[in-house]
Formats: sequence, structure tokens, C-alpha cells
Amino acid sequence: MSEDLVRIAQLSCGPEYSGVQKEIYTAAEAVGAEVFFPDLSLADIRRNFRDFGLDVRSGDLKLAIARAVALVEGSVEADAVFIASCFRCAEAAIVRNELRRYIHEHSSLPVVSYSFTERTTSGTLLTRMEALTTIARRRALLARERQVGLTMGVDSGSSTTKAVIMQDNEIIGTGWRPTTEVMGSADEVMALAFEEAGVKREDLDAIGTTGYGRFLIGERIGADLIQEELTVNSKGAVFLADCQHGPSTVIDIGGMDNKAISVNNGIPGTFTMGGICAGASGRFLEMTAKRLGVDITELGPLAMAGMGGDVPMNSYCIVFGTQSLVNALAEGHSKENVAAAACHSVAEQVFEQQLQEIDIKEPVIMVGGTSLIQGLVRAMGELLQTEIVVPHHSQYIGSVGAALLSSGFVEKN
Amino acid sequence: MAKVFIYPATSLILSDLVARFGHKALGTALSIRERIQTAGLDSPPLQMTPEDAKRGLRWAAVEVPSGVRGRMSLFGPLIDEAEAAVIVKHADYAFGCMGCARTDELIEFLIKQKGVPVLEVEYPSDEDTGIAFVRSIKAFLKSLEGTHE
Amino acid sequence: MKQKIPPLYQGTVTKYVFVESYKTTPDDLTSRAYEVSEKVMIKETCFGLQITGEESEVERVIAHIRKIDPSHIFVKDRGFPPGDPRRCRANLGGARPGYFGHEFEMKVVKWVSKGIEAINSEDPALTLPLSSSVPEEPPLLDLQKLKQIIDAEVP
Repeated sequence: MSEDLVRIAQLSCGPEYSGVQKEIYTAAEAVGAEVFFPDLSLADIRRNFRDFGLDVRSGDLKLAIARAVALVEGSVEADAVFIASCFRCAEAAIVRNELRRYIHEHSSLPVVSYSFTERTTSGTLLTRMEALTTIARRRALLARERQVGLTMGVDSGSSTTKAVIMQDNEIIGTGWRPTTEVMGSADEVMALAFEEAGVKREDLDAIGTTGYGRFLIGERIGADLIQEELTVNSKGAVFLADCQHGPSTVIDIGGMDNKAISVNNGIPGTFTMGGICAGASGRFLEMTAKRLGVDITELGPLAMAGMGGDVPMNSYCIVFGTQSLVNALAEGHSKENVAAAACHSVAEQVFEQQLQEIDIKEPVIMVGGTSLIQGLVRAMGELLQTEIVVPHHSQYIGSVGAALLSSGFVEKN
Repeated sequence: MAKVFIYPATSLILSDLVARFGHKALGTALSIRERIQTAGLDSPPLQMTPEDAKRGLRWAAVEVPSGVRGRMSLFGPLIDEAEAAVIVKHADYAFGCMGCARTDELIEFLIKQKGVPVLEVEYPSDEDTGIAFVRSIKAFLKSLEGTHE
Repeated sequence: MKQKIPPLYQGTVTKYVFVESYKTTPDDLTSRAYEVSEKVMIKETCFGLQITGEESEVERVIAHIRKIDPSHIFVKDRGFPPGDPRRCRANLGGARPGYFGHEFEMKVVKWVSKGIEAINSEDPALTLPLSSSVPEEPPLLDLQKLKQIIDAEVP
């Protein structure tokens, strides 16, 4: 694994004037990357802009377009691309989308696009920057298709912590707990996985960690691989769904934020991460289950028995979404229909806010704990008009990916 | 001597002509210089911070993108100060501070709304338009003399 | 961009001096500037000079060098001091956005030079053409005229 400086080309309009350029620099530096602005002459800018054919008015967007063309043509070299523009700017949103698609289709450069506000911090950008550098640095590791030896993956998410132990390409132990104290939850799930697998910590050949608590847990237990969840989950998803070759789309609706990743041969090409509000996340479904007086594991079957279309619900904001929920119940709608409407609303938010920013290619794989809520999977399938693949052990996706990728360190150890 | 807002606010040609004909050009460099020379700021490259985007709320509402509001915190005070303006229309290849078309539209509107004398010209493209360009700007600037001593 | 940069040259101004001429070079400007400069910093660039110092001193030097070739020397303010790492091409990987604006205007500036030369010899009493105002939308076709055209086409 090379830790060479990764050079990320920035195509943007507005971050300097929003006071967030420093945050972009800081996030890149934190993952050993350097942000740079592709150099062009005015004549190149004119020609590239004209050739691209999207006739926008803003000078900085023209510049971004011209720089993207230079990257694709190879007249400027980069390891990855970061596209950023102001949130709520329609002109920039069109450019951002089209450039992301253009770079994805015409080059092998990993690319992420982001719309910022003045409140954007380096912390928000960190996982995205880390994923860009992982893809640039660890292509060889990400190409791994089989797990070897005895390895463990730990995924410390915002809602739940998971551990998986794998041996010779098979899952032999798992552990799952709600996340409370990060290290304490990790210790619990590791103990569960060890018990089920019948192995001890010292028997392991390698360990990988991912998720929000990856650094803390990784350092405490001496992990060989500490890696963000975008690349790890993509890898876990295509491994479990048995579609490691060719294109696929991975959707992970998490407890705090959602990931939508356009994958090719197991390596993310473009991805989005985030969500406007918890109303578009698993958190809203947890609330719905609680309000309906059922366990979250019962919400899926409940929703499958209901008709969401009968209940108006829009969870763009979790507060308004909860109001709709309460009103629907007060109006006498059945629990089944309300559960179905909640699933539909979350799927719709993810569809409208995030899936527009990546290219959906089949198969579409849903992973993470929420993929076990059948009503949500059905709603997403209806919106995308495709049959969604939910692989076995899909709730352990990050742990499986981390166990698989960390086996790249087995021989070294 | 009048304070003349120039658009593009980064224009060499307008800065020069306004000063050459005896007035003070109000351009972005003045706003940037103020930030660069303020101790305690640490927000490269322009030393603009999220506070600038908030200050921009004076000229643009909260639903306006942060880049527009941040830019307005550079231009707004210059527009407040301006006693006249020279605007080059169709300045398609202006970048950076002038790189956002929406901000540019707002600036032009605000300067016109202010009611100060405004001259609109286009960049010259040959000798004849060059002469007419300079002649227009000189005549406009001359007309300001005496009104802003 | 790691290092925190303290405010440099506080209380000073920096001005760009551009020259677009076949007979005057940035080097000529530098020599002339040094003739009269006392407390300013002068940096020669590919397009001219950057002069940094107290405003009155910078203005005095500029007034001196403008005399060399008045219609081909152009001056503007700059926010950053020369060589500032936040704006340096070497650090950004590419030119700062404002550079392209310079590149654009330097292609147009020769016509402005022609304008400056021409108006210096003009009689101010004469009324001469001004820069055309921004084109209006073409007027709509008059209804009567449209009717005439239609009638003319009818056999």
C-alpha cells in the first residue's frame, strides 16, 4: 500500500467566498491528499467550454467545465476529482451533475460531488476525501475478491456496532449491538463473534475497522486496516451479492447518513453521502416503529401488509414527518398503511435527494440494517423500477467488507 | 473626485481609466486587501470566513447560495460607497470574484437601484470601438466632475 | 496551505503595472521605477511590475513610470502582496481565477491604447460617436406592415 500524496483536482464555484475553502484543504490534508486547481490557458478554457457544450453564464462554472475536460483528455494529471458548488444554486447543480457523470463515463478517476453551505466543516468532508484517497491509493487492495485466512471486521456505525469473523471466504461468526459507548459496544460485538466462531483474538491473522468509530477502535485493537465505509461497504456489498465484476449500485440507508455508491468491478466510481435530515434515514423508521408500538424488526412485515399510497406522509424533515405520522394515526389509518407510508417516504427522500447524484446501474444492492425492513426495500424497488438485491448478512456489510479487505494483510502478518 | 464602482470589479482596464481620468475606482482589490491585512483571520485563500456569508445577508436573503452572499460581503460595502458606476456588459470571461453570474446580476441591479450615474459599455473589439470606449468613459467621468468634490 | 500566514505589509498597498507595447518592456519599467523609488518594493513580472509600499509613495513611482509610455501602461490595485503563497500559482497547482481575467483584458487592451491616443488629439468641442449602448431587442413588426406583406403574397 502506497501512502504517496494523492492529488485531488478541485472543480468548484464559490467555496472561497463561502469561507469553506480552508475546510476543503484541511479535510484533504487529514487524509494525506493535496487539493489543486488544474492549470489552463484562457484559450484552453474557451475551447474546452465550447466543446463541452453546456452554455452556462457563470465564469467559475465555465472554468470548472474547462478543467474537467482537461482532466478527461489527460492534459492535466490527477488521482481523483472533487466537485463542489453552493447548495441551492441551480446553475451550479446542473454543472456539478453533468461534470460528475462526464468524468465517471470518460475516465477512471474517482469523483465525488458536494454542495456546501457556509456551515460545511472539514469533518463533514473527511469521509468523502478519505474515500477518494482510498480508491486512488488502494486499487490493488480493493481488487481483492476472496477472503483468505482468519480475519475480523468491525463496523462501528452511528446506530449499531457489528463484528464479523471470516475464514477461507466464509462467515463463521457475527456480533451485533446498538452503539452506546463506542469501545464498549465494539468489545461486546467482538466477544459475540469470537464465541460464535469458536476462535480467540490471538488466532486472528488480520483485523479491519470501518464506520464512525473506526479510528478509535482500530487503534485500540491494533487493526491492520482502518478504512472509511464508502469503499468498505461497496466491497462487502458486491462480495455478498456475488457481483464483483461489472457495474452495480449500492444503497445503504444508515442511522445517521445514507450512502449511494456507483460501483464498477467492486470499486466506487461516484458516490454521495449524507441526507438533508434524519427524516431520510433509518432513524425515522425507528421512530415510526416506536410510535406504532412495534419492534423495528416487525416494521418491515407490517409495511408489506399495508398500502402506503393511502396515507400522506413526507419526511423531508423529521419533525414534519412525525407530525404526518401522528396525524395519520389520529385519522384512523391502519398501522400497516402508516408503516408502508413511512417506508415509502424514506425511500422517496433518498431517491430525490441522493440517487439523482449517481448513475443507477443494475443490479441495485441494498445493504445495512435498514435493508432488512422489507417495506423499505419494496418502496425503493418501486421508485427505481427494478428488483433490489438484498444479500445475506446485509446488515453486516461493513464488517464483511473490512474482514475481506483486511485479509490482504494476512500474508504480510 | 468621485468614487466609481467598476464592473468587472477586477478589471484592469476600468481601474486604470477611472484613475487616469481623476477618480477613485472601487474594485474588489480594496475589499480583499482589507481582509488580507486583518490580523487573526486564518481562512485561505481570500481570508473570507463563514461570517462573510452571514454578513452578506444584508444584501441577499438566507435562501440565496452562500457563495453569492459571501461575494456580496465584498461588493456590498463598495456599492454603498459608490457615487457612480461603469459597467462592462457581456464580460463573459470574468472569473473568481466575478465568477458567479447570479451575484453579477444582483450587483448590477443594486447599483442601478441606488440611483447613481451609471455608464454601460462593452469591451472594444477593434480600433473604432476602442476609441468610442475610451471616449465614452472619459465623457462620463468628466460629467461627474464638480458633482463630487 | 498548512502554515498560518501573518498579515504581511500591513498599511501598504500593492499595485499592478501592466505594459502592452512593442517598445516598452517590463525591464524598462523596472529600471525607471528604481530611479525614483525609496521605500517601495518592486517585483518584475512577465506582464509588468508589482509595486508595494505606502500609498503616496507607490503613486509617486507610478506617476513617474507612466510617463515612459502613457497610453500603453495600465495600473490597478491588488489585494494580495506579491508572492503571497495563498495566491501563488506554484501552490495552487494552477493560476488563480483572476489571472484569466488579466489574460482576457490584455488581449483587448491594445484597442484601449488606441482610444487613449486618439482622444488626446481630439477637439473637445466636437460631438463624436460614443460607445454604442447595449443593444435593445429588435422592434416587433408593425401590424400594418405585416398585413401588407400578407396581401402582397396573395395571388
